[in-house]
Amino acid sequence: MQRKSGTTVAWKTRILLFLAVLGPGFITANVDNDAGGILTYSQAGAQFGYTLLWTMLPITLALIVVQEMCARMGVVTGKGLSDLIREEFGLRATFIMMILLVVVNFGNVIAEFSGIAGSLQLFHIHKDISVPVCALLVWLLVVKGNYKGVEKVFLAASVFYIAYIIAGVLSGPSWHEALVATVKMPPRAVWRESSYVYMVVGVIGTTIAPWMQFYLQSSVVEKGISIKNYAASRLDVIVGSFFTDIVAWFIVVACAATLFAHGLGAIKVPEDAAEAMKPLAGNYAFLLFAFGLFNASLFAASILPLSTAYTVCEGLGLESGVDKTFKEAPVFYWLYTLLIIGGAAVVLIPNFPLVRITILSQVLNGVLLPVVIIFMLLLINRKDLMGKHVNSRWFNAIAWATAIIVIALSVVMLFAPGGG
Amino acid sequence: MRERRTFPSNLTSLIGTPVTDTGGHLRGRVKDIAVGTGTEAGIVAGLILKTREGRELVPARDLLQTPSGALELRPEAVLRPVTPDDSFLMLQQDLLDQQIIDVHGRKVVRVNDVDLQWFCPGENASQQDLRVREVEVGLRGAVRRIFKGLMPRTTLDSFARRFPARVIPWELVDLIEVDPARRVKLKIEHTHLAQMHPSDLADILEELAPAERKAIFTTLDEEVAAETLEEVGPKLQRSLIDSLDCETVAGIVEEMDPGAAADMLGDLPRAHSKAILQGMSPEERHEVEELLEYREDSAAGRMTPDFVSVSLDGTVADAIQALREFDGDPESVAEVYLVDGGGVLKGVVPLSRLVLAQPDTRVAVLAEPHFISSGMDMRDPQVAELFDKYNLRALPVIDPAGRLAGVVQPDHVIAFLRERH
Repeated sequence: MQRKSGTTVAWKTRILLFLAVLGPGFITANVDNDAGGILTYSQAGAQFGYTLLWTMLPITLALIVVQEMCARMGVVTGKGLSDLIREEFGLRATFIMMILLVVVNFGNVIAEFSGIAGSLQLFHIHKDISVPVCALLVWLLVVKGNYKGVEKVFLAASVFYIAYIIAGVLSGPSWHEALVATVKMPPRAVWRESSYVYMVVGVIGTTIAPWMQFYLQSSVVEKGISIKNYAASRLDVIVGSFFTDIVAWFIVVACAATLFAHGLGAIKVPEDAAEAMKPLAGNYAFLLFAFGLFNASLFAASILPLSTAYTVCEGLGLESGVDKTFKEAPVFYWLYTLLIIGGAAVVLIPNFPLVRITILSQVLNGVLLPVVIIFMLLLINRKDLMGKHVNSRWFNAIAWATAIIVIALSVVMLFAPGGG
Repeated sequence: MRERRTFPSNLTSLIGTPVTDTGGHLRGRVKDIAVGTGTEAGIVAGLILKTREGRELVPARDLLQTPSGALELRPEAVLRPVTPDDSFLMLQQDLLDQQIIDVHGRKVVRVNDVDLQWFCPGENASQQDLRVREVEVGLRGAVRRIFKGLMPRTTLDSFARRFPARVIPWELVDLIEVDPARRVKLKIEHTHLAQMHPSDLADILEELAPAERKAIFTTLDEEVAAETLEEVGPKLQRSLIDSLDCETVAGIVEEMDPGAAADMLGDLPRAHSKAILQGMSPEERHEVEELLEYREDSAAGRMTPDFVSVSLDGTVADAIQALREFDGDPESVAEVYLVDGGGVLKGVVPLSRLVLAQPDTRVAVLAEPHFISSGMDMRDPQVAELFDKYNLRALPVIDPAGRLAGVVQPDHVIAFLRERH
């Protein structure tokens, strides 16, 4: 082992300070606003105006609680979520969980490539070109390149999320109406509309995505945060959650104030959503929207398949890691490769309903979420694993309530007449 | 010793097997398998049955295998309750799905299944005993686990056989037990690990969670621990040091190469490194403290103060004697340095020349006419350049008065060059 040279030390300290603020929680928050997120929030605003805004506060609370649980488990046990599920619930439970996760995450990968296709279509680049090129780029980035370096670029480009906040302001919403809708439940009649329930599940699923919990816990473990420094990590998670949901709130508001107010209704292609940005940049609106969506999609497209491959291989005890060769870790690389190729291929189907499938994938996230939360709750309340860091009563109440409410919504969604 | 092939001999299939008494009445089901540790390693102490009375232990010898796939208690069989004092390893509870170290493959793996073996301990062919043969970490065990109960056992067996098995013989399995008290009770010793290369140990530590890591690291003796600590990355070094008390760390640091020790302590907060230094013996502490003064990216920062030197007018025999008395790592020595009475570097003799020369030859005769050395403050890139240009095996570092202060080893240069990329 060598001491680092003087200049390297200074450089590293600076990076560490930078990452001390932008920790795993904040990175996860940014990945959270991916193509699925942006399109689902846009659709929520376009289709239902302000009537979905009330969900933001409870979702933020649930997001903070769930993510904090992940971070705490990561810090205390030093193990990933799939490792813990495997050790405590056995191989079969892990296997079923992983199958479900792969299926749902595949939907998310499709959503990311839909985002890439949609955003580049605004620049008149046909998806037949954009999607395969980006798929190859993402694949090469991880297999041949240096992901960690590129991550910083993506993260910096996430500044463009602020554009959504500005767009929300400039769209001239009725602030009073929006704020009241945020704290007041909508009239009970909305629940009779099954497409509304569908959208609520989608919004929950995209904000508290199951795969993010696995990703967050692994990142916390990888960073090797000790329990002494946990307070900073918790803050990081809370700040990240608020950031996610503030951006989400403004996207909904922007689309509600423009698309919904003008009676344009549901978004069918991503171009429709660019319409919401018009007040901000006029005819250049599409540029901002397209760039934001493209960055978000590509960022998530490079994390999601990789995170899935890691999660699955760790849970099932298979070799994993980008430092291994294809031969040493075949399942890891094949799963990673197939998720990308498969996701890209589905999007290339002619007349593929980009937006509809994207939202469906987020709804599936929502359906899977309670399963993940219940696993987490069972794990985090075990004294032998967590010691004195088991959940408090309030955390248990909120997490259980989240799981039960989402299960109830999913049931209502499935059996309500009309369909989504 | 004959093995019976008909009766299942893996943990997954055995768990849940009904156990009846001689009259055919169900007494319970197999819940777990208790295995001895220490000198009894791998010997099955008995099967744990879940009966109406709770968890009971019955030796495998007291069971008969019936054609229907159930187990039958022999008339003389005695069941005894499981007590908390029992120091057995429970295969299902303690081993399945947990991480173990594959000593031969030098990596951390997860247990999918355990293969056991029925054998006849005595003359009586019908009396069978059970022992652990190997741990299954591949697909075959996984398939068996996942589909158990979803298809008949024979179908599942032939289905599972289509998948490749990856097994680790029981002798080459190293268990990881986080609880120190239980580790003592189960006599878990990491004797295998001491024979592994420190770099492989470092890789294994990198793969484990902090608690497991500490469990393994603390069982290593100080010398192995020191070499391993030199090999792990700075982040892991830090977390290992933080998990141990200063006294233990001091003992390990004493065994480390002083250069590596200084690198490590230099990255710690001052109070912490001071506390560790305080625990070290004065001689080692002095060496490390001196190195801590230098810039990290200079020749002095990279060098080790351990080297072999002889007086300029000494003989080959003197040099060999100095090498014998050298208290650093003798394998890292590539050349012997010739110094005058004041410690000023006067010549360099490669080890191979010493070996080929007669014992009474004077070392000054063997020295190379010109030798390359560096000042204390030469920067890393220049050091690397010297190594490349002159094909050096080691680079002596001299202080402003020309006295030999230390030696930069090639592995330090390689580490620096790799860091840059």
